[in-house]
Amino acid sequence: MLGLSNMAPRQLASQLLNFALVLSTAFMLWKGLSVATNSPSPIVVVLSGSMEPAFQRGDLLFLWNRGMDTQVGEIVVYNVKGKDIPIVHRVIRRYGGGGKSALRLLTKGDNNLADDTELYASGQSFLNREEDVIGSVVGFIPFVGYVTILLSEYPWLKQAMLGIMGLMVVLQRE
Amino acid sequence: MSNATTKIAVHSLADLKNTTDDAVPNYMHSLKFRQIHTTTDVRLALGYTAVAISGALFYFDWKMGWDVTKPYTLPAVVAYFILNSLFSYWLWWVEAGAIYEGEGKTGKIRIATSTKKHIPIYEVDVTFTPAPASSNPPQTIHIRTPFTRWFTSDGYFVAKPFQQWLASEVPIVGAADPSNVVEEIGRGSETDKVLNATGANAMNILEQLKTAGKPSGGSSRRRKA
Repeated sequence: MLGLSNMAPRQLASQLLNFALVLSTAFMLWKGLSVATNSPSPIVVVLSGSMEPAFQRGDLLFLWNRGMDTQVGEIVVYNVKGKDIPIVHRVIRRYGGGGKSALRLLTKGDNNLADDTELYASGQSFLNREEDVIGSVVGFIPFVGYVTILLSEYPWLKQAMLGIMGLMVVLQRE
Repeated sequence: MSNATTKIAVHSLADLKNTTDDAVPNYMHSLKFRQIHTTTDVRLALGYTAVAISGALFYFDWKMGWDVTKPYTLPAVVAYFILNSLFSYWLWWVEAGAIYEGEGKTGKIRIATSTKKHIPIYEVDVTFTPAPASSNPPQTIHIRTPFTRWFTSDGYFVAKPFQQWLASEVPIVGAADPSNVVEEIGRGSETDKVLNATGANAMNILEQLKTAGKPSGGSSRRRKA
């Protein structure tokens, strides 16, 4: 283990580059997946219990956003205008979609009593398939997303993790 | 750069190798060799260009959102992974462990080092072209020796035996530093003891003991490998 102060400039630049490459590769893989699935967020974590028993809190979902003709019964992830937390719910009704009119969807959480009209932005009573939905669920892994729930509920964990990762990559030369 | 006063863990192969690697440019610099950084700079340029592309995409994505950046994302991802592959190719196949490239009065030299997992032997590939380069073809030699040759048992790097080893094994280093060339006279395991006792080396050894032996008197006595 050698300190940062006694490294030559190129050596320091190499160490920093290693760290930057780790981060940027992760980010670019994510973006590559975004392009492939045509979804701004191809992997999401279930944050609420509103879809139990289909999905539990912490399940990791894989989305696909290339088949635009969503059917009743499909589980979609959508963003509500003005809120940045995506919601995972099932389609229970569809309108339009034929010819020129845009496909519109009504969703409901399996574990909720009422449909999602209350959750939508004020004045909105259905989702626009193209604008609001970021993908349909095509696969899931139970529980592994729980880490992100912890990270979002305790934000300092995120900084601590990033800091430790950074230090380790910069300092070690093995 | 580490110097003789840095203590390392003698059982850490990475420490042994890194400390020794760092000693090479110092030594070559003292022989008036000029270090050539081209290969390192190419690698850094490839890497930082890739990181810059990724950083730019991250920034615009964060500022403007997916709908705006969508058309640029695919080209950026493709460009990033091409640069990243070039970077890896350069690191593994072009640089291939090179720790020093330089040029001096006696010729050009490129030194690449490696170790095998868990084996404390310094493996060195030296490619050199004795001056004048026009009339001499480049030669490659592989030399190897245990790290115990220049590390004391308590973890201090001793420059002299390392420099003697390099000067004796690599002709153009020896030509630039004749005083460090020592002859192996081949008397089995006692070779080093015999060498230590020769008149030509006596002053060097004494000096060596004075400087390297600073932390404790015991280290010099135990350094017999």
